[in-house]
Amino acid sequence: MPRPAGRQPAEELRLALPSKGMEDETLRFLAACGLSVDRSNPRQYRATLRNPPGVAVLFQRAADIFDKVDEGSVDLGITGYDIVAEHQREDDDVAVLYRELGYGRCALVLAVPDGWLDVATIADLAEVATSLWNKGGELRVATKYANLAREFLYRHGINHFSIVSSQGALEAAPTMGYGDVVADLMTSGVTLRENRLKTIAGGTILSSEACLIGNRRQLAASETKLRATLAILELIEAYLRGRDYLSLTANVRGESEEVVARRITAHEAIAGLRGPTIARVYPKAGGERDWFSVTVVVHRDALLAAVEHLRKAGAAEVSVVDVHYVFEHRSSAFAALRRQLGVRVRGGQTPGPEELLVGRSPVGEF
Amino acid sequence: MLHTPELSRVRGTVDFLPPDAALLRSLEQAMHAVLALYAYAPIATPVLETTDLFLRKSGEEIATRMYSFMHWNRRLCLRPEFTASVIRAYLQHLQDRPLPLRLAYSGPTFRYEKPQRGRYRQFTEVGGELIGAAGPAADAEVLAVACGALESVGVRDYRLTVGHLGVALELLGQLGIDERGQALIVGQLEPLARKQADPDAVVERIALLLGAAAAEGDDEAPDGALGELLARVGPETAERLATELLAHASLPLEGSVRSPAEIVQRLLAKAARPDPTPQVRTAIEFLQQLHGLAGPPAAALARLDALLRAYRLDPAPLEEIEAALSLFAAYGARPGEVVVDLSLARGLRYYTGLVFEIYDDGPDGRLQLCGGGRYDDLVRALGGRDAVPACGFSIGLERAKLALDRHGAVPPPARPVQVLVVPVEAADRAAAVAAAQALRAHGLRVELDLRGRGPRVALRHAAREDVPLAVLVGEQERAAGSAVLRRLEAGEQATVSLDELPAAALRALADGAGDGRHA
Repeated sequence: MPRPAGRQPAEELRLALPSKGMEDETLRFLAACGLSVDRSNPRQYRATLRNPPGVAVLFQRAADIFDKVDEGSVDLGITGYDIVAEHQREDDDVAVLYRELGYGRCALVLAVPDGWLDVATIADLAEVATSLWNKGGELRVATKYANLAREFLYRHGINHFSIVSSQGALEAAPTMGYGDVVADLMTSGVTLRENRLKTIAGGTILSSEACLIGNRRQLAASETKLRATLAILELIEAYLRGRDYLSLTANVRGESEEVVARRITAHEAIAGLRGPTIARVYPKAGGERDWFSVTVVVHRDALLAAVEHLRKAGAAEVSVVDVHYVFEHRSSAFAALRRQLGVRVRGGQTPGPEELLVGRSPVGEF
Repeated sequence: MLHTPELSRVRGTVDFLPPDAALLRSLEQAMHAVLALYAYAPIATPVLETTDLFLRKSGEEIATRMYSFMHWNRRLCLRPEFTASVIRAYLQHLQDRPLPLRLAYSGPTFRYEKPQRGRYRQFTEVGGELIGAAGPAADAEVLAVACGALESVGVRDYRLTVGHLGVALELLGQLGIDERGQALIVGQLEPLARKQADPDAVVERIALLLGAAAAEGDDEAPDGALGELLARVGPETAERLATELLAHASLPLEGSVRSPAEIVQRLLAKAARPDPTPQVRTAIEFLQQLHGLAGPPAAALARLDALLRAYRLDPAPLEEIEAALSLFAAYGARPGEVVVDLSLARGLRYYTGLVFEIYDDGPDGRLQLCGGGRYDDLVRALGGRDAVPACGFSIGLERAKLALDRHGAVPPPARPVQVLVVPVEAADRAAAVAAAQALRAHGLRVELDLRGRGPRVALRHAAREDVPLAVLVGEQERAAGSAVLRRLEAGEQATVSLDELPAAALRALADGAGDGRHA
């Protein structure tokens, strides 16, 4: 893809997205955040973000994205947290910028053959490992996640085992005889069941979902990249926060705004994030004059309670819409990013949301 | 994209520079000298060992902290401690030697721990092992050598804490807790005593690891009902049912290392086994009581005696501690404080009898300097022909240095250079070398000037580096077979013949041109 003339290639923020498995989910997620990917041809491995400007998108294998970010050949990447947890080193350049993006959920679990009727818990597995060891054998754990599996087993008092590193079909390991148990990703459990394997209590090594990572050095070294990253983080954060909220609008009868406000704020459930917005309703010709429109944003879980309270406060009808974003006064992602980078954002000021949200009008309260 | 990564130390490791490295080496030599006085012969084992050596008996604490890696399909590690290595070497080479055998060692050890002040991922252990001697007399000797080594480098007012694994192990045995459970519980003594762990959480965790039913609400628990059912129908029916189930419910076990009979057997054994939680709780509570009764030997031993009687436990460990401490007193070591604490567990799983730790208590907290104890089962566990009683200790060298630093007790470093020998011209180099060699033969530390920028520059350098003496060799001196000996501080110089040069230099140093140490 041709680059706009006059732009330094190094100043372009490079974002790696998973090309297989999580691709569709990732594109849907980004679009929902307001970060649509422009790709002229779905078979191409390069694309751009429509907004913020100056972001190149590269599609790569989820398993490779950690390494690409670590070596700095891309600045940001979305990949599974399982991959990050397995590959991270204490001296790497990778910062986890957003741990839970809310999709791509799976768990790294230990699974044993269905036929091991006596093994239902991690304690059972520990005993089996010890008894295999006493007979001169060793529990063989087939996995792509050698570091996480080893650490987990040690932590659960299982010292005698060997890791069989395999990149192939792990579920077949016990049947094929090259591993006794497996440590593998599970989303629904169907694959495990089909291969006559079962999970055990206390055998979840890691719960994972998609996460956003970035290269500390690259981001710290470029103001432009940092600003683009902050814009992306803001939108993701506000979108994820917004998913928990609903916006309620009700027509409430009352003598004045103050009287209505008092009735509304008496109930914690409908007080909103900061407080209700109340506006006079100008009735159709001949209509009554004492109606007010009340808008509050409430947590999804509190919806029915809020509707009930609005009714008690005199609401005639209540309409509910999804909140797309919730931006708070300060982005906690900003602070987290700065902590991660260990640097001040140059210029001493973090860019305000108005600078970042070019051409979008977010829905909801601020 | 090209970038050159910075070359830096691996996190948690230290570069010791001059003069600190020299100081560490002198501390190490002083400790070895003490070990030699007690007839401990040096042994050197490899830094690289098989991981398995340490997994057999060292305990979980070590397992998670080892630098372990695969190298061409072999699992290797950097040694996390010496004892297992020394015993391995004993088993391979020394089993036919008459016992007891006294061995001394020092060298780098490696543990992957959170780096903090006084805790590095590579550190140096200096220690000794006494193999083939049982009883309080051997324990007392090991205590005395450990204290003597620390005192020899200037550690004072240290606290010696003595415990004994015998009590805890006997109680755990009485409660029917198996070896794995014992290791798990003993491993938690330390965090419990230091109040780093919540007792209820510890009980729950250990009980779970020992097979207690998962707490309610654990959506991971997939079954458990089968075992219960089988337990109800009686052993014979149960065995038949389980075997049938395995054979006909198409639960394939091909490729599995476990036979159906084995699985059925364990299933039934498990169903018949009681919940370990009450035993674990009793054990943890008892061990916490032990910690509560810690104190100076006489008082603590009396209180502990009453507790052991109440629990009908053998008081022999207390007698051993008493006997070892009274013999230890005869050695004349001077700890600032002695404490008896039976909850002392040392984190390593192989200890069986008396154990001890030595601390430096400073304004910024306690610093463990040394640990040791008796490990009568280790030789057997590592494959020895016979059970051989053994005990030993090891000192953290960098910790000992830190303790000296904290108390301002670091000895001033020796001057690295006592004499600078300067050839005036290039033609004088051979004569200068001869002069330098003559001085070195008399034990003087000599720097030969290689700059070749003349005496004036050389002398300025000597003054800056605090070198007390300079020897100048020019054309005249070369012809006469002499040299100019200059005392830098006094600014005096004299021409001496090469034969007399070493004696003159030694005299000048003794006269106060420098006593070999920085002021």
